[in-house]
Amino acid sequence: MANILLIASLGILLCGESYFGYRLHTISAEQEQIKEDYSVVNNITFGIFSVDQWREKISAVVGQQVNSFSMTAKQKAALQAQVTDQLNGLINKTVAQINKPQKSLGGKLKKLAFNSFVDEDELHALVPVFSKTIITKINSPASKKRLKRIANSKMDQLEDQTYDKTEIAKNAMTRQIFAKYQVSNAADFDKSIRNHLSAIHTLTYNYAYAMLGCVLAGLVLWLILRKKTRLQTTLFIMSLLFAIVLLASGITTTIIEVDARITTLNFKLLDENIAFTNQVLFFQSKSILGIIETLMKQPKPDSILVGALLMLFVIMLPVLRLLGKGLHVWGSDRFADNKVVRYLAFESGKWDMADVMVVGVAMTYIGLNGILKSQLSNLNMDTGPLKTVTENNSSLQPGYLIFVAYVIFAMVLSYILKRIAKPQEKNPQVLDEENVPT
Amino acid sequence: MLSSNQEDIKKDYSNINNITYGLFSVGQWHDKVAAIINHQVRNFTMTKSQKKELQIEVEQVIIALINKAEALVNKPKKTVDGKIKKFVINTFVDTDKIKAQAPAFAKTIIAQVDNAANKKKMSKMAMGKFTEMERTGTIDSTLTAIEVTTKGMYKKYHVASTAELNQKFNTSLADIRKSTYGYCFGMLGCIVVVLSLWWVFRKRTELHTTLFVMSLLFAFILLAVGLTASMIEVDARIKSLDFMLLGEHVVFKDQVLFFQSKSIMDVVLVLIGQSAVDSILVGVLILVFSVLFPIMKLSSTGIHLLGNRKLAENRFIKYFAFQSGKWSMADVIVIAILMTYIGLNGLLESQLKSLHINSNFLTIITTNNTALQPGYIIFISFVLYGLTLSTILKFITPHDSH
Repeated sequence: MANILLIASLGILLCGESYFGYRLHTISAEQEQIKEDYSVVNNITFGIFSVDQWREKISAVVGQQVNSFSMTAKQKAALQAQVTDQLNGLINKTVAQINKPQKSLGGKLKKLAFNSFVDEDELHALVPVFSKTIITKINSPASKKRLKRIANSKMDQLEDQTYDKTEIAKNAMTRQIFAKYQVSNAADFDKSIRNHLSAIHTLTYNYAYAMLGCVLAGLVLWLILRKKTRLQTTLFIMSLLFAIVLLASGITTTIIEVDARITTLNFKLLDENIAFTNQVLFFQSKSILGIIETLMKQPKPDSILVGALLMLFVIMLPVLRLLGKGLHVWGSDRFADNKVVRYLAFESGKWDMADVMVVGVAMTYIGLNGILKSQLSNLNMDTGPLKTVTENNSSLQPGYLIFVAYVIFAMVLSYILKRIAKPQEKNPQVLDEENVPT
Repeated sequence: MLSSNQEDIKKDYSNINNITYGLFSVGQWHDKVAAIINHQVRNFTMTKSQKKELQIEVEQVIIALINKAEALVNKPKKTVDGKIKKFVINTFVDTDKIKAQAPAFAKTIIAQVDNAANKKKMSKMAMGKFTEMERTGTIDSTLTAIEVTTKGMYKKYHVASTAELNQKFNTSLADIRKSTYGYCFGMLGCIVVVLSLWWVFRKRTELHTTLFVMSLLFAFILLAVGLTASMIEVDARIKSLDFMLLGEHVVFKDQVLFFQSKSIMDVVLVLIGQSAVDSILVGVLILVFSVLFPIMKLSSTGIHLLGNRKLAENRFIKYFAFQSGKWSMADVIVIAILMTYIGLNGLLESQLKSLHINSNFLTIITTNNTALQPGYIIFISFVLYGLTLSTILKFITPHDSH
C-alpha cells in the first residue's frame, strides 16, 4: 500500500519534472531560433559592411548639405575675390591680345578705337562691380534652386554607380523573417522580439527552478523514508528516472550563448551624424547535443571523431551507468551480480565525463567571455568625432544549471546506492571518484 | 618540429595576405582610384536636362552682366569724354542684340566645359593630387614598412612576387600537412601496437611490470607531443568585398583578419596574458588539467606499481593513478566547444543558402577554415590511452586498487 502511494506521489512529481523539462527544451529552442533570426537581420554584413547602407547614409548627409546650402558672407567675399581675379586676368589677356602689333588695316583701326575709347584701368575698376553682380545672381533663390537641382541629379547619378549586393539579400532575408513574425517593419520586429524574449527569459528560469524543486522534493522524500528499507528500491528506481529526465533536458537545453555586437557606431561627417546601431558581429547559442551534432556533421573525420567521443562519454555512458544502477538494485540476484552491471554501477565512474563536461563548459565560457571582452574593448573608441560602443551579451543559460543539477544528483545517487547495496553482498568498497574529496 | 614550422609558414602567409596589405593598403587602392577618376572625370557627362539647366543658369548670369554694364554706361556722365563714350556705345552697341546672343554664349561655355581635352587635363590634375596624397608622410612610412617586410619575406622564400609566394606557401603547407598527419598516424600506430602487445601477453604476468613501465614512457611522449603540437587553427577572414564604387568594380578577395595555429600551451599563454582574473584562472585550470594532472597521474601509476605497499596504498597516489585521467578530457571538451562556437559559425550563410541567395558577393566574416590539428588528436589519444592504462593497472596490480 505504502509502496503504491509512494509510486503515485513520486509519479506525479516525475510527470511534473518531465513536463517542465519538455517545456524548457521547447522554449529554449524557441529562444535560440528567435535570437538567431534577430542576429541574422541585424548582422554586420547588412550594416557596417554593406556599401548600400553607407551609400544611403552618406547620400542623405550630402543631400542635406546641398539642400540647406547657403553662402555665408565670408564665403561670398571669398568667392567674389576669386571671380574678380578671374575677370581681371581675362581683361589683361584681352588687352594684351588687342595691343599686339597688328598688321592688317582693320586690326590697326580696332586697336586705335579700343585704345581711344577704353581705359584699361577703368575696366579693372569696374571688375568688382561685375563680380558682385555674378555672385548675387548665383545666390538668387531661383538660381540656387536650379544649381541644387543640378547637384542633386549628379549625386543621384553617382549613387547609381555605387552599390553592392547586400540590398537584395537583405530585402529577401527581412521579408522572410518579418513574415515569420508577422510584423511589417523593423521597429515592430524589434518590439515583438523583445517582448518574446523577456517572456521566454522569465519562463525558462521558472521552469528550471520548478524542475529543481521536483528533484529536491524527491530527495526530501528519500530523507524522510531513509529508515524504511522496504521502500528503498522503489524510491531508488524513481530517483533514477528523475536523473534521466534531468540529463535529457540538460543536454537539449541551451548551455552557452555568445553574443557580441557593436551597439552604436557614431561619427560626424560634414557635421551630420552617421550612426549604425545594433550590429551583430557574432552570435552563437548551442546545447550540448547541438555541439555534438555540429561536430558530427562536419566533413572532416577528426571533428566527427571528437563529436562521437563526446557523445559516448557525456551522453551514452551516463545513461548506461544509470541503467546499470537500476538493474543492480531492481534485478534478481543473478542479474545484480552480473559483471557488466556491477562494472557499470560502481566502477565506470572514470569513463563518465558528465562532471568533466560541467567543468569544461564553465572553463570555455569564462575563457571565451574573457577573450571576447578584451577584443571588444579594443573596438571601443571615443575619439571625439568617432564613437563606438560594443556589448558582450554572452551568458550561461538554464541548460547549464540543469546539467549541473544532474551531475550533483547523480553523485548523490551513487552515494545512496553504496549505502543501500544489498547487505548480503560484500560491501563494494568502490573508490568512486564522486566521494573522494578533490 | 614540423608543427612549429607549419605555424611559422602560416604566420608568414597570414602576414602576406593580411588585410593591411589588401583592403587597407594604399597601393592596392591606387589603381582602383585611378580608374574611378578616369571614369568619372574623363567621361564626365551631363545628362540633357542637366545641360539645359546649367545653360539657363549661365544665360541668366550673362544677361545680368549685360544689364549691369548697360546701367553703368547709361549713368549720367559729367566729363566730355564720358559723354562721348556713352554716345558711341549707344549708337554702335545694341544691347538687345547682345542679350539675344546670350544663349549662344552659354552654349559655347558649356561646350568648353564638356570638351574632351579639358577633361583630360582635369583628370590629370585629380590624379596628380591623389599621387601627392599618397606621398605624404604617414602613408609613405607605412608603405615602406610594408615593402620592407614583403621584401624580407620574398628573400626568405626565394620568390619574386606575391602570387609566387602564395603558391609556395600553399605547396609547402600541403607538404607539411601531409607529413604531420603521417607522423601523427605513425604515433597512433605505435600506441595500438603497444596495446595489442598487452593483449598478447595478458597471460604472462612476469612481463607485465616491464611492459607497463614501457607503456608509461610511450604515454609521456604522447603527452609531450600533444601539448606542444598545434591543436586548433583559427582562421577568420572576410571572404569577399565586392561592390561598385562610382561605376568602378572594386573587389577584394580573402582578406585575412586572423589566422593562427595554437597549441594547448599557446592557449594557456593567451588566457594567462589576459587582464581579467577569471581568464587567468581558466588558463591556470587548463594548465593543471593538461600538464600537472597527467604528469602526476603517470608518475603515480608508476609509483603504485613499483613502490612498496604503503606507498602504493596511499590515497593520494591511488586517486591520481586510477581516477584522475578523465579530467584531462576537460581540455578536449574546451577546445571542442570553442571549435563549434568560433569555427563553425555559418549561421548567416546557411540562412542565405536557404533563401537561394549567393553569399559570394556579400561581405561576410567567415571562420569556416578553422580546423582541428593533429595535436588535438594526439592529446585525445593520450587521454584515452591513459585511461586504458589505468584500467590495465587495476588488473595487474599486486596491491589493492580500491
